[in-house]
Amino acid sequence: MTPPPRSIESLYPFLYQGTTAVPGLLDQVRQSTITKTADILSLRRAVRDAMADQLLACAREMARRFAADGRLLAFGNGGSATDAQQLATLFLYPGGASRPLPALSLASDAAVLTALSNDIGVDVVFARQVAAFGSKSDIAVGLSTSGNSENLLRALDEASRRGMLTVGFAGYAGGKMAELDSIDYLFVAPSTSVHRIQEVQTTMCNILWELCQDALSSSAAPARATPKEQAHVPRHSR
Amino acid sequence: MMTQKEPASLAAGTMTAAHPAAQARVSPQVGGVFDRREQPLHDFALQAAAVAAACYEIAVRFHEGGKLVVFGTGGPSADAQHVAVEFVHPVIVGKRALPAISLTSDIATVTGIAARNGMAAIFSHQLRYLATSADIALGIDTDGNSSSVLSGLLTARELGMLTIALVGGDGGAIAACPAVGHLLITRSADPRIVRELQVTAYHMLWELVHVFLEQPGALEPEADA
Repeated sequence: MTPPPRSIESLYPFLYQGTTAVPGLLDQVRQSTITKTADILSLRRAVRDAMADQLLACAREMARRFAADGRLLAFGNGGSATDAQQLATLFLYPGGASRPLPALSLASDAAVLTALSNDIGVDVVFARQVAAFGSKSDIAVGLSTSGNSENLLRALDEASRRGMLTVGFAGYAGGKMAELDSIDYLFVAPSTSVHRIQEVQTTMCNILWELCQDALSSSAAPARATPKEQAHVPRHSR
Repeated sequence: MMTQKEPASLAAGTMTAAHPAAQARVSPQVGGVFDRREQPLHDFALQAAAVAAACYEIAVRFHEGGKLVVFGTGGPSADAQHVAVEFVHPVIVGKRALPAISLTSDIATVTGIAARNGMAAIFSHQLRYLATSADIALGIDTDGNSSSVLSGLLTARELGMLTIALVGGDGGAIAACPAVGHLLITRSADPRIVRELQVTAYHMLWELVHVFLEQPGALEPEADA
């Protein structure tokens, strides 16, 4: 059981030794924290009720791609670039008993990103990498809040041309991503707050991963052998 | 003097009554995965006072010229970068850009320190050379037992920095560490759920620090305090 909460003043008496404006602001911020938590809760429920079937279908299709030796390529700008890194590391190094799967973030290599930005322009930073790495069994995941980032739209188009599974994340009403024919699954977080959008996208990414793991473990697809397992195979039988 | 009243749960606040996935005709497999995320969020809301106190002290440090230094290993290393860009390049037009750096982006330094001095030193070394006593240290960890994050927070405290820990699980060794000035625990045994709550928590830190910064009178120490 969580212990009963104590008042701010009893927890942080030093905060009450300053100006008289501080206690009022602290209370305002405390209330605001609760309101924002309630907002994210309702937003998750809205996404659950609207997108559960789509998430499950997408996860199953991702599992089919992984079973066919496909890889996941994730990309985004700014905070979404770090979310793409998170998604890649979640698949690649999930920890516990979960199955590691090949995944790359296209937003992590400063040499590649600055070379493409400087020589051609920021609009191609992901599309060029998709062209270099992507093959038809792969999965492209583009993370955006506005849904309007030109470099994501171009990368998803390129991925679609190559026969990759294309997954998009957006906020608001989906922006230009909602008009793109090249996206197989588009998950829109129906909010106008960039922060709440990113939070619910994090949840959707984690849920896709979990459902994909479930689909892989319930299918007969052979797991890719880990180096340790390979080492146990006698040389002559390879 | 204001009266303090914390909610027993979010249901007492602005939220509508709970309606589990079953009522919305969502498949039990997917609905269950969503519903598992609700209680940890309710638990986090109980720490609203701690969030407010941390925001206030962060605002004071920024007001006095300090910078925010963020660090974490594994998934949280990307969160550290996310927090830094949040402060440096605000998504909301008109909000002040604030100085923040992550200690997880310079892979040459991180792997160099790890190879020669061990993983535990990757942040503490950087803090000694990149941070000052005026600064704020924010360590993010999934289970609270990362030796690198713990050691970073200890060094930060030695340097006189404000120390904030954002940890999951049961808080681990970091929650028990006296060098931590402000502790925010996102309680869940599932590291994915921990991370989701941590994203919410650091977004709130960014959003709410600005409430204090926009009232600069509140950040000046009183002569007779």
